[in-house]
Amino acid sequence: MPKEPVHLAIFKEDRVDEAAEAVERLRNLGIADKDMSILSGIPYSEHILGRPVSWTRVGLIGLGGALVGFLIALALSFGTPTLYPIRVGNQPFWAIPTSIVVTFELTMLGLLISTFIGVFVETITPTYGPKGYHPKVSDGNIAILFTCPPELDAQMHAALNPLGAELVHRSEVKNL
Amino acid sequence: MAVDVKILGNSAKPAEHSEEDERHEHLMLDPKPREEMNRMVMDAMTHTSKRYWITVGVLAFLVAVCLFGAWGNMIATGNGVLGIRRPVFWGVLIVTFVFWIGISHAGTFVSAILRVFKAEYRRPFTRAAELMTTFGLAAGALYPLIHLGRVWVFYWMIPYPNARWLWPNFRSPLVWDFLAITTYLLSSTIYLYLPLVPDLAMARDRTTGWRHTVYKLLALNWRGTESEWHRLRKAIQIFAFAIIPVMFSVHTIVSWDFAVSQVAGWHSTIFGPYFIVGAILSGVSAVVTILFILQKTMKHMDYFIRREHFNALGILILIFSMAWAYFFFNEYILHWYGGEKVIEDILTAHATGPSAWVWYLMLICNVAIPWLTLWNKRVRTTPWLMAIITVLINVGMYAERYTIIPLTLGHQRMPFDWGIYNPRLTELLIPLGTLFLFILLYMLASRFIPLVPVWEVQEGQVAHTLRKVGKGKVPSVSELE
Amino acid sequence: MAEKEAKKWGLVIDLDRCSGCQACVTACAMENNIPFTGEDEVAYGRGMHWIRVQRYWTGEYPEVKPDHTPAMCQQCGDAPCEPVCPVFASVHSEEEHINVQVYNRCIGTRYCANNCPYIARTFNWFDYEIPAPMNYYLNPDVTVRRRGVMEKCTFCVQRIKHGQDVAAAEGRELEDGEVMTACQQACPTDAIVFGDLSDPESRVSKLARSERGYHLLEELGTMPKVTYLKGGGYYGG
Repeated sequence: MPKEPVHLAIFKEDRVDEAAEAVERLRNLGIADKDMSILSGIPYSEHILGRPVSWTRVGLIGLGGALVGFLIALALSFGTPTLYPIRVGNQPFWAIPTSIVVTFELTMLGLLISTFIGVFVETITPTYGPKGYHPKVSDGNIAILFTCPPELDAQMHAALNPLGAELVHRSEVKNL
Repeated sequence: MAVDVKILGNSAKPAEHSEEDERHEHLMLDPKPREEMNRMVMDAMTHTSKRYWITVGVLAFLVAVCLFGAWGNMIATGNGVLGIRRPVFWGVLIVTFVFWIGISHAGTFVSAILRVFKAEYRRPFTRAAELMTTFGLAAGALYPLIHLGRVWVFYWMIPYPNARWLWPNFRSPLVWDFLAITTYLLSSTIYLYLPLVPDLAMARDRTTGWRHTVYKLLALNWRGTESEWHRLRKAIQIFAFAIIPVMFSVHTIVSWDFAVSQVAGWHSTIFGPYFIVGAILSGVSAVVTILFILQKTMKHMDYFIRREHFNALGILILIFSMAWAYFFFNEYILHWYGGEKVIEDILTAHATGPSAWVWYLMLICNVAIPWLTLWNKRVRTTPWLMAIITVLINVGMYAERYTIIPLTLGHQRMPFDWGIYNPRLTELLIPLGTLFLFILLYMLASRFIPLVPVWEVQEGQVAHTLRKVGKGKVPSVSELE
Repeated sequence: MAEKEAKKWGLVIDLDRCSGCQACVTACAMENNIPFTGEDEVAYGRGMHWIRVQRYWTGEYPEVKPDHTPAMCQQCGDAPCEPVCPVFASVHSEEEHINVQVYNRCIGTRYCANNCPYIARTFNWFDYEIPAPMNYYLNPDVTVRRRGVMEKCTFCVQRIKHGQDVAAAEGRELEDGEVMTACQQACPTDAIVFGDLSDPESRVSKLARSERGYHLLEELGTMPKVTYLKGGGYYGG
């Protein structure tokens, strides 16, 4: 629970410039980047809004999963004929060309499933930053969710109102 | 000597392509407020008419009778109710299997390949195409079970430690099929789900009751924060790049069911790419057919699906039809030239035997019809004509698989054992049953999830502007990523 | 079991002697519990015969002549039917050097049948009824297959096993000619010879080395164990 009041500044979907300017102004007021969060209905690149790039480990998790898939494929293609050798078609027990097919499929399966699991796990793990949501976000509006100490309240209003922001304050900000 | 210079063409002022026309033609240049687009998509999703429910009811009944009834009868009685026989041990059921796997390539082509190539026109129908992949695979993946002699022990093909001291034979293309189709089905369902999450969040915000509960669960608490978008975009990117080789591998492996065998006419190295191109042709044609039906039957779809999309897909279909013809001819001429007796017999049987009409149907529908019609822009931008052409292309692709499987199997190296394959009623009912299942699943899904990826459409519209260059206004796309 | 030397069972079929009488087909059906599928089904190609006499007509009327070739599973050394079975139901026996069809593992994908160049395999399309008292003729040494599984000629593996058991019980080696397949036993012209190809002195080995000998579809490289001897004006014999 944030100790400071949480606010949402909502901009209409075509007011990207104003939203970026608002972020700048809030930063000038002393509100740290980690205390701000931008909610939007379409993805806006970090450099458009002047924000630091957020981290995600989804790529690494995917690679890890690919490795797991690869190892399982090796076990199936070479481990099982070693444990239970059955001669078919005058072919060697360790047949490399056919194992490539199994290896490829299971590696890709590992990559793709673990990427999804990565997304899922990262989604449900706790995040820093202010919590809050407003349904207008899914209607395309850009919302800046930020915490602001009460003493900066007046300055914050003075900075954001001229840009045409719709301000929503803590009591109205709905949590999901 | 003075030379009289004639000015060719129309010397009058060139026609202006007004801004209004651009907006009317291109969805990307005709933005609506997101709120309105959301409302249109939600309206299309939640609106059901009596006609809809009657169709769903009839389809459900037909699926129960055709698919489960006929299949149940086959399980109870035996595979003998089919028309397969010695030497044609695979018939219509395997033909339909390959057909459905081919159709399922549509979604991946549209949502992955077109995404990677940044073809912006893909935006409004990627989800409709991905649904085709998922349900095409659901229908197609039934067939390796349906055609089994002892389907009740199908699980012996699944690799797991068991008391039989037996693992599946990983050298068998059927086990590769099992792995590849499982991989493709899971990946493609996840690839359908990931870009769906923001739209499910939108649906969550605009519904109440059971829908709200379900969407809230599926939307994974999506708020639209930067890290959520960053993570989603990264995952979608990984999927888009990775699912393309998976897609290629799936149909290659299905083609290897035939190509690794020693069957004359099957043992050809070209089967991999040949089948892939055929699958994309079949799949993209099916996308056009479905888009036509969606445009006519779902509300507000005429805003999202426009003639430009039929035009773009029509060009793609023409290109893939030419590619298919290239691969077909590649195989044909090498067989024809090679002089191997059994191959000559097979080619003769294909072209002049009792089932020659199938071979000609294939060539007419896959080559003649697209080549004679799709070069014309007026044809490509007429949705009902495109629907007819693409249905015929899929008929031709079905005929292609029919030629490859039973017609070739019946004509192998021992003339005493040649056999003609006569499909029986069950082999008509089961494929129809899976077709009805596909349509039924699609209809149910269209009212369960938003069919148009609104966030992608808006993203595209934000990136597109009409820029003034010289005296005219030119559509231009910015890279917002 | 693994201590005794591996046999390499093979057949030689002398086409000069084969009269096309189909006694081998009948004997095989009786020995191996092959079901009767009925006239209509056989006409449509659903006959279950493990050995068939391929008959080709040559010549112009009135000098029309049939050529008979009994064809069965060639028990290939490099069998195309083996690697394609997803559940290892078609495997190679390293002891008897024949292709073994394991009915209990078969799930009926029929890939092996498609991949057999000799079209030697058959499939149980239905559960074929053998009404009493006909079921009394069933051979207790051979499984009765249910629907959904593949089957094919086994070189009468039950007779091979029986012969080996008898020889082991008597503490001696299996003699050449002791194990006879059903088709060999029934053939009136002695056109079929069965035995151990790995023994160079056995009757079948000597016949297989004949200059009249050839293999079916040799160019495919399947290494079949059945040698045909040219004759009867067929294939230049």
